[in-house]
Amino acid sequence: MRQFKGVLIGVLGSILLPLICFSQENIKIEREVGIKERQVPGAAVDWLYDAFEKVKKPNWFQEFYQDGFSYEAKFKMGGNYYSVEFDSLGIIEDVEVELELEELDRMVQDKLKSYFSENYQVYKINKIQIQYTGKKGDLEDFFDENEKEGITVRYEIEYRGKESNKVDEIWEGTFTADGVLLTRRKIDIRITDNLIF
Amino acid sequence: MRRLLILGLFFMRVFCGYGQDRQTFFTGFFPEVSLTKKLENSNKLNFKVENQHVIYDNRIGDKPQFDHYRTDVMGFYDWKLTASTSAAIGLFHRFQDGADGNRIIQQYAFLNRLRDFRIGHRIRTDQTFTRGQKVEWRLRYRVASEFPLNGATLDPGESYFMISNEPIFSLKGGGFNLENRLILTLGKLYAKSQKLEYSIDYRTDGFFNNRFRTRLWPKISYYYNF
Repeated sequence: MRQFKGVLIGVLGSILLPLICFSQENIKIEREVGIKERQVPGAAVDWLYDAFEKVKKPNWFQEFYQDGFSYEAKFKMGGNYYSVEFDSLGIIEDVEVELELEELDRMVQDKLKSYFSENYQVYKINKIQIQYTGKKGDLEDFFDENEKEGITVRYEIEYRGKESNKVDEIWEGTFTADGVLLTRRKIDIRITDNLIF
Repeated sequence: MRRLLILGLFFMRVFCGYGQDRQTFFTGFFPEVSLTKKLENSNKLNFKVENQHVIYDNRIGDKPQFDHYRTDVMGFYDWKLTASTSAAIGLFHRFQDGADGNRIIQQYAFLNRLRDFRIGHRIRTDQTFTRGQKVEWRLRYRVASEFPLNGATLDPGESYFMISNEPIFSLKGGGFNLENRLILTLGKLYAKSQKLEYSIDYRTDGFFNNRFRTRLWPKISYYYNF
């Protein structure tokens, strides 16, 4: 009888439940797929190699959204991780470079530190990316010749922060070139049930 | 997929060798279901059912079987400590012919989010109470790495590969035992809240008391979050 109970629970729990629970939840079309360089619009590939002459074997991705797609090149150069975004036609949108806090201007470091310490009981910076946006030619001149005209600089910072009387969360904040917060959004950590339970 | 097949064949070869030495080996079918409810205070409730059926046991002979081995039901309350760490307590009941048991579980888990993959660490202690037997005390540490198979992040509709290993140290009536669980998984994130995993779960124990035993479980796991 006991064995029968065990078998019954096992069968009900393990076979029938997934069939019931596999709900018709809509899958959001928002995904990143690795692609070959030959699948990327020529304009994007040409821009990348013109702006970063020393780049070797970038990894290319196509990112799909609800209303379209874009391309992204990721690579490491000079000890830093780069992420270069292009629109669906291969036109440059922005360039992000990962940096350490200590690599930023002293004034920006101080401004950021005071923002975090004033707004969070506990914080920890996970990742800082400096983001360069501008017209195609201006961005190329910036990376090629360090010409700063027409370039907008922002910082994208992923950090862990606990506001008073609230739970600890992971945030992504966008800051101006001077270190002033523009926007922030909460980052949802993908479900961890298979890692925890 | 081809790599998984090769690994599967490798494991089978290892087990055939053990079988010839008359060390215990059995294999079977292992489905599991995990349901997780996220509470308003960011803590979680988890309910899990695991079921093991033996289809081959070298102590019985070459005849294939379909015998119920055990069914485990468990529930956890998980407290969010920080964005990437949590602590949980759990209650567990085992249905096993002649060896029904209860267990209390304590665990601490943390997550490392790296550039292209993530690593989950889980440290558990548990105490198992089985009628007519001494209490079994265990300490276990599982490390699991999850790699997306498309792109640098895992998005809904995409597959992933996971490898985990968990040594389990146990004390029961003065006797010490060590068990190891190595699991290779191919999974798919169907939506933000649902996953289906196919795994090969390779368990070894009895290292020190000349009762070496291996168990190989092809496993299918379903995870649902709501």
